[in-house]
Amino acid sequence: MIRALIVDDEIHAREEMAILLAETAVIEVVGSCGNGIEALKMINRLRPQVLFLDIQMPVISGFELLNMVNQEIMPHVVFVTAFDQYSLKAFEEKTLDYLLKPVDSHRLAKTVSKLQQTIGENRPPTFDSEEIRRIPCLLGNRIRLVGLEEVEFIATSIAGVHLTTRDHEYFTEVTLKVLEERTPLLRCHKQYLINIDQIREIVLLDGGMAQIATHGGKHIPVSRRYLKIIKKKLFI
Amino acid sequence: MDLLTFSLHNIFALLQQMSVFLVIAYLFTKSPFFRSFHVHTLHPRTLLLLYFIFSTFSILGTYFGLPINDAIANTRAIGAVLAGIIGGPLLGGAVGLTAGLHRFSLGGFTAVSCGVSTTVEGLIGGLVHIYLVRHYQQHRLLSPMVAFLTTLVAEITQMLIILTLSQPFEQAVALVRIIALPMILANSTGAAVFVSIIRDQRKMYDELSVFFSTKALKMAEKTVAILGRGFNMQTAGEVASVILQETGVGAVGITDREKVLAFVGDGSDHHQVGQGISSTQTMKAIRENRIVYADGGEKKWRCNLSAACPLGSVLCVPLRLDNELIGTINLFEPKNKLFLVTNKTLGEGITKLLSDQILYARYIEQKTLVTSAELKIAQAQISPHFLFNALNTIIAITRKDADRARDLLLHLSNFFRKNLKHTGNLATLEEELNHVHSYLVIEKARFEDRLQLEMAVDDDLLALKLPVFSLQPIVENAIKHGISNMLGQGVIRLTAVRQPGSLRIMVEDNAGNFIERGKKGLGMSIVEKRIKNLCGENHGLEISCNPGERTVVAITLPEGGCGEK
Repeated sequence: MIRALIVDDEIHAREEMAILLAETAVIEVVGSCGNGIEALKMINRLRPQVLFLDIQMPVISGFELLNMVNQEIMPHVVFVTAFDQYSLKAFEEKTLDYLLKPVDSHRLAKTVSKLQQTIGENRPPTFDSEEIRRIPCLLGNRIRLVGLEEVEFIATSIAGVHLTTRDHEYFTEVTLKVLEERTPLLRCHKQYLINIDQIREIVLLDGGMAQIATHGGKHIPVSRRYLKIIKKKLFI
Repeated sequence: MDLLTFSLHNIFALLQQMSVFLVIAYLFTKSPFFRSFHVHTLHPRTLLLLYFIFSTFSILGTYFGLPINDAIANTRAIGAVLAGIIGGPLLGGAVGLTAGLHRFSLGGFTAVSCGVSTTVEGLIGGLVHIYLVRHYQQHRLLSPMVAFLTTLVAEITQMLIILTLSQPFEQAVALVRIIALPMILANSTGAAVFVSIIRDQRKMYDELSVFFSTKALKMAEKTVAILGRGFNMQTAGEVASVILQETGVGAVGITDREKVLAFVGDGSDHHQVGQGISSTQTMKAIRENRIVYADGGEKKWRCNLSAACPLGSVLCVPLRLDNELIGTINLFEPKNKLFLVTNKTLGEGITKLLSDQILYARYIEQKTLVTSAELKIAQAQISPHFLFNALNTIIAITRKDADRARDLLLHLSNFFRKNLKHTGNLATLEEELNHVHSYLVIEKARFEDRLQLEMAVDDDLLALKLPVFSLQPIVENAIKHGISNMLGQGVIRLTAVRQPGSLRIMVEDNAGNFIERGKKGLGMSIVEKRIKNLCGENHGLEISCNPGERTVVAITLPEGGCGEK
């Protein structure tokens, strides 16, 4: 069985897709959700092999979602959309397939066999992620897309990934690794990413370590390993 | 006694030559120059012309004068004084000097004194001009009384100058005794009569132009509404009747380039609408693209259709639209009636007016065409997203709830039927809400819990009219750009309120995304444009947005809705 996650903001569309996939008897729907943030969480947790992904969704589109997924756990992607306004043919190279709503089960069967073949040959998904410009964050029950320029630093702890701006601290589902890869933020510590534009000063400490003070007055540790890189970036 | 008879004789003689003068003055008032001449606005060119005219008058006055005792009793003063009064000291002085130099060149013992005095008289007229202008009495520049008194003073001054300057003094005294009375009286009277001729003519022209303007305006007022409906047989007929009634001519015919569009008045029994053009003059007017006039005197109009036709004269005026001839307007008079010049002028004028009105109507028509074309675009804009998502939703629901699926399909077909129908420009609020309702029921099915609908519209507002297809694009925007981008619960609220002076139909969403989008989309712009076109410039869309909280788009309409135009 191929493990699939359905991401669509319309409940009936999700249910219909689940039924159609169940009918194939090849695919096991491990979960379904209605927005990109939940999807990110579920991908991280459930590690599906394939995503049936709607493109037009609130706050984070299907494309944006894919940019936030860790490359190691990146599933195969089947876009499902009502109307092909993005010329999905252009993505054919990058994604496994695309389906148009309402989904025809015969057409779906083709997608599934393509999927079986790809997974059987153990070919990895080829979706190339692009740079992330806005990071979806949670603050209480509100979702905000935080622009990169606002970010001072991002830290990870047991509780998850926290993004700090001048005025707020947010929680995000995007992993530190993804953020390091797809944003210009710099790693300064195993648990920290820093926005180089927000650095006010670097205080050198004993043992080759350092501490960064941000414009917002926060202090972030710099480990020995990353200090060199940071110095180099700052032409010190 | 002897002196008196001589004076009387002189007065009559002078008055006699004055008459010649006045004839010339009268002819002057008939000249095209006079028609465009106003004492209030004298341009340098006009002044120059006036200089030549009055100098000629003045010099002629010398020539027509009576030689008396080696001097000339004359009416030279009139030209100089009037030039001064009408044109100011510069013109008066120039005319006086010219006529004075001329008089000087003729010689005699008063040559110097007469030359000087004529210049002085012109200047006296000029002083009066300055006085009147300074005291805001321009209207008295052409007053016979002013002319009389000024000339009187000027002539007395002239006599004093003759007495002062002419040698020998005894001869001057003798001369003045003879010529003073006749010259003073004749010149003053002459100037007064001259001015009154100018004034009366002026008045007549003014009255005539007022008469023309009123008639033309009255016609224009009646025809503008008619031609607003386009230029065709129906409207041409109505326009012809208006022209017939206002001008009082025998008959009026309107043609396009080939056939008669309308004919009213005498001879309408055989001049029938729809038949080809038969009038030689009309064909000529079309062929040569110019006004053709057969006055019924030398050039007669002959009916080519019936020998018994009572009509005998015609004025054919081409009707042009952007320089392209589209037809003619023909005014006829019966054989037994003269074609009035006033009607000729009026006919020519009104045709220009009608051309403008037709042009305007075309413009409006095209504007409406553009809007209805835009309406089609707006309707065609129904997003394929909506259609396929709706179908997808209904397909899913079919599995679970066949009745609901059926109901949704009925709404979908109602929605599309309304979309495809575009007869007329206006719809009632009820029809619009019905359309929107079907749309919202489907969207509600798509979003289920994520969309909540609230509608509060008073029943007594339902019959009010608004441009068809105004509401749906706004509601669609609220969903597409508002609710569908929300993670939380979306609310669409539809309300209508009547306020003094306006009716507001409001579509509110709790997404508050409008600021992010920045500007109205194509659909909204078309809605706004159509409201402005159909309901007036003061109405349209009002948008307020509280980012992240809510967007309210209000359609503002006249209090009683929009009226059919």
